[in-house]
Amino acid sequence: MTEPASIVFVVDDDPSVRRAIKRLVESVGLHVELFGSAAEFIDSSHPDVASCLVLDIRLPGISGLDFQRELVQAKNGIPIIFITAHGDIPMTVRAMKAGAVEFLTKPFRDQDLLDAIQVGLERDRVRRQRQAETATLRERLESLTPREREILPLVVSGLLNKQVAGEIGATEATAKVHRSEIMRKMGASSLADLVRMSEKIGIAVPETHRP
Amino acid sequence: MATEAVDPQLRKTGIGVVGDVPWGSHFFMFYETKEDLLDTLVPYFKAGLESGELCLWVVTEPLTEEEAWNALRQGVPEFEHYVADRSIEILGGRRFYLCGNDLDLERAIRTWAEKTDYAVTHGYAGLRVSASTAWLEGKDWKAFSDYEKEVNSSISRWRMTALCTYPLAGSTAAEILDVTRSHQFAIARRNRGWEVVETSELKQAKSEIKRLNDELERRVMERTQQLAAANEAMRKEMIERQHAEEALLQAQVELARVTRALDMGELVVTIAHEVNQPLTAIVTNGNFCLRRLEGVTPNLDELRPAMAEIVSDGTRASAVISRIRRLLMKGALRRTELDINRIIQDVSVLLRTELTRGRVSLRTDLAPGLPRVAGDQVQLQQVLINLIMNAVEAMRLPAQRPRKLLIRSAKSTDGVLVQVQDSGPGIEPGLADRIFEPFFTTKAEGIGMGLSISHSIIESHGGHLSLTSSSEGALFEFVLPVTPYD
Repeated sequence: MTEPASIVFVVDDDPSVRRAIKRLVESVGLHVELFGSAAEFIDSSHPDVASCLVLDIRLPGISGLDFQRELVQAKNGIPIIFITAHGDIPMTVRAMKAGAVEFLTKPFRDQDLLDAIQVGLERDRVRRQRQAETATLRERLESLTPREREILPLVVSGLLNKQVAGEIGATEATAKVHRSEIMRKMGASSLADLVRMSEKIGIAVPETHRP
Repeated sequence: MATEAVDPQLRKTGIGVVGDVPWGSHFFMFYETKEDLLDTLVPYFKAGLESGELCLWVVTEPLTEEEAWNALRQGVPEFEHYVADRSIEILGGRRFYLCGNDLDLERAIRTWAEKTDYAVTHGYAGLRVSASTAWLEGKDWKAFSDYEKEVNSSISRWRMTALCTYPLAGSTAAEILDVTRSHQFAIARRNRGWEVVETSELKQAKSEIKRLNDELERRVMERTQQLAAANEAMRKEMIERQHAEEALLQAQVELARVTRALDMGELVVTIAHEVNQPLTAIVTNGNFCLRRLEGVTPNLDELRPAMAEIVSDGTRASAVISRIRRLLMKGALRRTELDINRIIQDVSVLLRTELTRGRVSLRTDLAPGLPRVAGDQVQLQQVLINLIMNAVEAMRLPAQRPRKLLIRSAKSTDGVLVQVQDSGPGIEPGLADRIFEPFFTTKAEGIGMGLSISHSIIESHGGHLSLTSSSEGALFEFVLPVTPYD
């Protein structure tokens, strides 16, 4: 079985509601998986594809809002769309502040749910892409020698080869060799490209060398 | 011996200058002539006889017993009657006081006591005495003076008056002082008339009595003021209690209102939750079907299960409502024999403030002697509160007509009829059919449960709630069967 491009997880304790949502969401060509409680969802396997969570507030066991907090604490950034039979304003504010995509009151308009799901999936796609990029850059950073890792912050802070050489106590020619080796290993096409990459993986630029 | 408390009733002395005296009076006179004696003692005994007293006159010279008899016979009308029934007795002084040649004063005292006793037990008002001491010899003065003191101190307890006569001639100053000391007051001849001479003790007693009277009066005043203050305090307390009762009533109305709102509020949450789930499934499945039907060739096999679920969820939602209604009905199945008029009166009192606030004038027309109905008091109160509050709200609309509410009770062929009629704008004919449906409301803030629940309550009592509406207002009425059902 081939892995779907995206998955919509639905957690609601009412089987009728679950089935109806599954039908609706599948009708727009999305893959749907259903759960009766937060615990069931945790116990299941989650393929590494863009996904979002349609979550009922009132659930057996842990409530939807508390489950959201647990996910945030566990650095699981899956986008959440809340659905509830009796939402009040404080509840909505709490959910949205914690990063929910949408807060829908049952019975909701079908298009509102589908729109929210699209937003959620797109947000997850971006999130995953960013995560993947960061992982690649970290791998490249690992391939640098200790000397090169020492020189990288000096280069991205804008120092010329001559200045770098002064900082590390070497000749200007040696500094030039290190710089070109760093650019090659990191896959950077220009100094500007290298600066962007450094920012993404959080390379600290020494304060004294800021231009 | 008659020792009971002295009769406060005053006795006529017959002696003008003395006037009336109480029982226990012991006074004296000094006389000079026989005429002095007759002048005072004849009217004295005349007054005694005419007042129904037993009279005893102890005479000595210068008066003889015969002269005494004659004087009375002349001075007292129908005197022979008094003689015949032995109301009057005249004795010689020596015979009375002396035993042989010796003074026997113990016997004298005993005689007074016995005579008084006799008088009281034989229908007389009391005993009236006059005694003379002209026979007294100097050697006996001391003893007699002591006897007089004893009489003076005892007489206050007896129904007896005594007027003692002393010859002025031959009395020494010391003797006069003794006599004065042993009597309460004296009468004396002065300038051809008679005068009362009070002894200092009497004056003291009188001033003491005046002081006591003043004191008594002061205490009566004081007590009166205390009573007035107590009355005022009680009046204030009553007003406070009245206020407290009004506040209590107010609180009860508020409680009833809050309870009603709370019941409704909780009901709304329950309904929202229980009904929203199937509704969500129905709406979502319905939308799914619509989306599929938009396609050129809808796959009916795909639609069928969705449609089936719409039907089953619809049934489920309706079952939730029935369950809630059953729950509401089951809340209190406490049926007792009820006086519907009493319930109407209770509810009217309970809602008095609400009616006043809505400027609604309530008139009740309750048929007397209605048979009792079997039902749940709280539920029937709820129905009436609901109908009355609806009426008040209906009349709150700015229509400029009198806000009148009429509650009637009457006997009907099926049982007991209750009507609640308002003067509001009435209910549009198109809406009248739907007014008892759950969730149907014409009010901006209503949830549409009041009349639906009222309807169910009346039906669960075996009755029927109905509406007649016109431009003159709305008339809700229900009939409750009299015979117990189940």
